[in-house]
Amino acid sequence: MQSQWAILSGIEGNLAAYEAVLQDIRRQRHPVTELYVVGDVVGLKGDNEAVIRRLRSHSSSSGASPHPGEFVPQVCVGWWEEQCFSLHGFSGVLNAPELMAQFGSDGVKHLWESVSRESVEWLRSRHFGFHELDCLLIHGSTVSYADELTPKTPAIQLCDRLIRADANTLFCGRSGLIFECWVEPSMLRSTVTTLDGVQDLIEQGKTPRRVVGVGSVGRTPGQATYTLYNPANNQVTFNAVSYNSVKGFGTVS
Amino acid sequence: MKLAVISCIHGNYEALNTVLADIDAQQAEQIYCLGDLVGYGPHPNAVVELIRSLDIPTCQGCWDEDIVEGLNACECSYPSQLAEKRGHIAHEWTNNVIHPEVREYLATLPMTLRLDNLCFVHGSPHSQHEYLLPSMDGFTALERVLSANAEVLFCGHTHVPYVRNLEDGNLGIRVQQPGQDESIAQVQIPLKRIINAGSVGEPRHGRPNATYVLYDTDTAQVSLREVPYNYQKTCADIIAKGLPPIFAWRLARGMEFAERADDPSHVCQR
Repeated sequence: MQSQWAILSGIEGNLAAYEAVLQDIRRQRHPVTELYVVGDVVGLKGDNEAVIRRLRSHSSSSGASPHPGEFVPQVCVGWWEEQCFSLHGFSGVLNAPELMAQFGSDGVKHLWESVSRESVEWLRSRHFGFHELDCLLIHGSTVSYADELTPKTPAIQLCDRLIRADANTLFCGRSGLIFECWVEPSMLRSTVTTLDGVQDLIEQGKTPRRVVGVGSVGRTPGQATYTLYNPANNQVTFNAVSYNSVKGFGTVS
Repeated sequence: MKLAVISCIHGNYEALNTVLADIDAQQAEQIYCLGDLVGYGPHPNAVVELIRSLDIPTCQGCWDEDIVEGLNACECSYPSQLAEKRGHIAHEWTNNVIHPEVREYLATLPMTLRLDNLCFVHGSPHSQHEYLLPSMDGFTALERVLSANAEVLFCGHTHVPYVRNLEDGNLGIRVQQPGQDESIAQVQIPLKRIINAGSVGEPRHGRPNATYVLYDTDTAQVSLREVPYNYQKTCADIIAKGLPPIFAWRLARGMEFAERADDPSHVCQR
């Protein structure tokens, strides 16, 4: 039986959206065996503590029993988590200047008040990204959690990120978009001259590789997007899930 | 116009003086400097004062930054523990002897300089700490030049001079998004170049001679220059000033065994 990975990003405190996506995942004809959340678990608009409790409830190590038939999500940190670390003195940069620049003092105050110290410590123990098979799953890229790759990112920059990632597929969530960009670095001739003379010409073509934007679960009220990946056939599927953002999830499109 | 590009002087006044005389003899019309004026060597103030007196456009190097900001390099800035330990000793010594006005000048240095389609940086356009080694993946190297929006990228930091031609670049891209037509594009990238200026004051190409480059903006011709100088005098000054003798040892040989980075393309996030 073919199995799939579900790859999510950008829950941003939106528990209803997350539950709707979980329900959609459970409905898949090919079972989902791995669940990855590539950052931005928290945000400014939702109930951050409720989402963190829910993520932790999947894991028996939290003390709570996982729901029957559920898998343990593998969570890595995103832009919003890094802002929490900065506010709580867990990173080299203090006082979250990026957050302040984008959302002002109200944003800083809200994030500070909506994520407990204990939750920040739990988030701090999450990974920076996951290397699985020939894939890297990460919030931004190996350059930075803030690196926003989109379909409009120059091809050479996508190529650079893939080479840095040492991966054939780079799944990322920073943009919140769903997309698949195949990059084929087919030809480059490189010649180096040093004080000792000209070295041999090197031709550097590479196999095609891709960057996949995995969407955003919670950023757009009522509409969640996420990604399914089938490692057996290398196929990526994008799913959109509609839900009632006030009363909870329900309708799946 | 004939340009001379120098880098990584590292407080070596003797080497700088000799290189400037060679530049004069080569009739270069303009000098650019890629930073690291201080650190390791015995005469950081004299080097900065000479660069300033000649109004040489200069980028800020990682050593210059550390003297301004305080030692803030994470462990990734040093390729080995040995290199890190030596680096800290050199930083501390330099930090103690540097004149306030020299520190102020270093703080004013830009990360990047431009002249038409030429870009000048210390390490890479992304970081003063990134090593653009000649063995770096070609497409990664190409991205550095393109991200600087330049035809020619001048860098230093590795202390070994080279010219790298990247040509006939071809990159295909196919974008699929739900609800939109698939888009396919082919990107052709004509010749781009990376020119590493080597090091005036702490060469690591296996000989003690100072290195720099000449570049003709009209013909695009590059010349890697290797200039003998009285390195024995600098070595003697290193010892006399109380700097670690290992700095004199490696200066006399033009090598640094400890400078072997596991991940030279890593970009420090601090």
